[in-house]
Amino acid sequence: MKHNELTVRFCGVAGDGVVTAGKILAGACASVGLQVMVNDIYSAEIRGSGKGTTTVRFSSEKVRSMGDGIDVLVGMAAKESISEIQDVKKDGYIIYGSSTPKDLKESESLAAHVPPEIHGIGIPLKWLANEASGSNSGRNLVALGVLCYLYDLAENIFINHIRKVFKRKGERITDMNVKAFQLGYQYCEENYPLNSEFEIKKDLPTTQLISGNDAICKGALDCGLKIFAGYPITPATKIMEIAAKELPKINGWMLQVEDEIAAVSAIVGAGFAGKRAMTATSGPGLALMSEMLNMAVMAEVPIVIVDVQRGGPSTGLPTKVEQGDLNIALYGGSGDSPRVVMAPADSEECYSGIQLAFDIAEKYQTPVIFLSDLFLGQRIETADINENINHDRNTRKKPTAEDIKDYERYKITDDGVSPLIVPGETGAFYTITGLEHSFKGNPNYESDMHSIMTEKRFRKFDSMVKDLPPADIIGDEDAEIGIATWGSTLGAILEGMSIARQKGVKSKLIKSIMIHPQHEESFRNFFSTCKKIIVPEMNYQGQYAALLKSRYGIDPIEIHIPAVDPVSPAKIAKKILEANDELVQ
Amino acid sequence: MNSFSKRAVIEGLNRAQKSNAQNWRDSLPTWCPGCGHFTALHGLYEAGEKLNIPPENFVVVSGIGCSGRFPFFIKGFGVHSLHGRALPLATGVKIANPDLEVVVVGGDGDGIGIGGGHFPHAARNNFDMTYILMDNSIYGLTKGQVSPTSPIGMKSATSPYGNIAHPLNPATLALSYGATFVARVFSKNRNEVSEIITQAIQHKGFSFVHDLSPCIQFNKLITYESLSDRVKELPENYPTDDKTKAMTFAESEQPIYRGVFYKKEISTFEENVQKIKDELKSKNNN
Repeated sequence: MKHNELTVRFCGVAGDGVVTAGKILAGACASVGLQVMVNDIYSAEIRGSGKGTTTVRFSSEKVRSMGDGIDVLVGMAAKESISEIQDVKKDGYIIYGSSTPKDLKESESLAAHVPPEIHGIGIPLKWLANEASGSNSGRNLVALGVLCYLYDLAENIFINHIRKVFKRKGERITDMNVKAFQLGYQYCEENYPLNSEFEIKKDLPTTQLISGNDAICKGALDCGLKIFAGYPITPATKIMEIAAKELPKINGWMLQVEDEIAAVSAIVGAGFAGKRAMTATSGPGLALMSEMLNMAVMAEVPIVIVDVQRGGPSTGLPTKVEQGDLNIALYGGSGDSPRVVMAPADSEECYSGIQLAFDIAEKYQTPVIFLSDLFLGQRIETADINENINHDRNTRKKPTAEDIKDYERYKITDDGVSPLIVPGETGAFYTITGLEHSFKGNPNYESDMHSIMTEKRFRKFDSMVKDLPPADIIGDEDAEIGIATWGSTLGAILEGMSIARQKGVKSKLIKSIMIHPQHEESFRNFFSTCKKIIVPEMNYQGQYAALLKSRYGIDPIEIHIPAVDPVSPAKIAKKILEANDELVQ
Repeated sequence: MNSFSKRAVIEGLNRAQKSNAQNWRDSLPTWCPGCGHFTALHGLYEAGEKLNIPPENFVVVSGIGCSGRFPFFIKGFGVHSLHGRALPLATGVKIANPDLEVVVVGGDGDGIGIGGGHFPHAARNNFDMTYILMDNSIYGLTKGQVSPTSPIGMKSATSPYGNIAHPLNPATLALSYGATFVARVFSKNRNEVSEIITQAIQHKGFSFVHDLSPCIQFNKLITYESLSDRVKELPENYPTDDKTKAMTFAESEQPIYRGVFYKKEISTFEENVQKIKDELKSKNNN
């Protein structure tokens, strides 16, 4: 059987090397120009019974989501892998260890659970690993060798990549791993027939692998991020780790502080002092930040807050995805506090989007909340990033000589944006405050002044909208079914749309990285051409749907997928078909 | 004329305005006449004048409380931040631009009540900034509730049967958190307050000034009179490089000592950061 797309899942417990196996497979694929997406699912505990899976999907075409089902299950831990069998497609493979002790209970044996329509591939993983390395480590490499044989993939691509990955660990370790791979390949060749094949288009250019977290940090560094303050929290920590390493090289600094309140306070200080400043957190951290975030709204200080969303509420599900923080991002503050909220859909948008976030924050002197999520933040994918490097990018409104003469920090202007000087610059000075204030920034509680200033803070958003590009519309223009998405669900939904199209049902989709403010005209126009509107999102309440309903007066079909696993394209397709059935009736 | 009266401050203000420094803002403080905070404000005026700090490089950061309004009375940049968050906000200002002279002011509730979690980290990083904690052992702006430095037994609106929690000592906290300059002053001694605030700003590293600054309106227990009986200058020839001794003297409640308990020059946060950056640069150039 010929394949042009494959999904492989490695399942094991801590120490089984599932993440490494996934990395090597993904890296080898990218080295020959394949498109890849990798998703890790693991429990919040570092050790113990923590089961983990790494799933790698690769193809010659763009991989937009993790898809539905898997072609190969590599059971590094037998008992833990049993529940994964349900995802294996018909005619798929289950690779399991055959050198496990004979007294293993049948209920815990993976081999005993292989269904008839799936090929079981028993390999003495431990025994072969031992032969290569003298220990149990290397079973993951043996399994990779088996996989390579089963789909007739080129051995040398893997071997080259294994050498590259282990180079840092020295020649002996590298050779052991190569040997383990080769033993797996040879054993499978000797014991199993070859009946599958993966077609690789020749001469594709090498692709770049990047995670959403990487892309956000890289984008921020490339557009002049100078100060990062943060507190570790899953799944956002990677961003601060990269910032810690890279910022000092470009005359910046990453400050690890005592809590999220200190993190946001420090970046408000840095933003006030004239630098591009950012923090990254997850839902619980954003909750802690909300008071200082509101001060940044009130005092008009530019900052960027990244929220890599995880399951909630409270500590919730630290290692599972959910899009549950839209409401806190939009509304989680005291008083009338307008916030810019953005949500990237993929790694490419993480990079370009965070740069836009900084430009908006600085130009409009306002905090920007950038809502990524665990799936987008941690998945590794091939991305075609359009690099835009300028470490001294500045979009702040500078005062004229006239402005400085009688400087008003909160001068009333047409666009709501006041000319800004920062500490260290001569000519004028001021104090920022969380209190309502006058044009000069002094505390002022007159109701007229409060009206003027509130209106000013909101007027900036009207100006912003004029700056924004229209929303993206994808799909069949004449379709009657329209879908509105936000954030990382985009890929799975686009796949769902093409599945529905293959079954004869057309649909179209609207999305914008801007959640608030939004280019409302393009949304109104889009919705006016739809007979059915579907709003899928990964939360229980339908937070985005609620926003769209109140903003555009629509009555959509809502799909609420709370937490845990990435969205299934097949389920989206089913909803599109159902919506079509209703239309036809 | 009382050395801590509002008139004295206005006079000082006038004097400062007439001087060459031209540093000080003309808006008048909002505190009650006789408030201890006037002395600290006056001290900061004098320090700024003596050290010739240009207003564009002067950033005063406060939190919430009676002390919160402080930045509005200074000619320079200011941040009137949130309750308890002055220190972390000030660290952001300082790392963004190390050339700025950053002074943090706050009260006891702000600094070791709601903001108590930030104090150790500002100190242990040894940021080159000054923190003046004006301690009146009461929540004044909310009209008289017990605070983290209120003595045992003190009755207040929220401790009608007497305070049962042990008071914290800001000076010993600063010492154990690793502040590299720790002093205590009493608002009654105007000249000493100015002198020690000047020393604190001059100190390279994190300097902490515990200012006994009575609330004449709501605290009937910690007053100028009651403190005057207890506050005493550090003995002559007191060594400022002995941390154990500093702890003992700072901890003493009878008498309460004032003066510089401890000072030590070690590399600052800013210097440590610059060192790493320079190393990276030379590594890149090679």
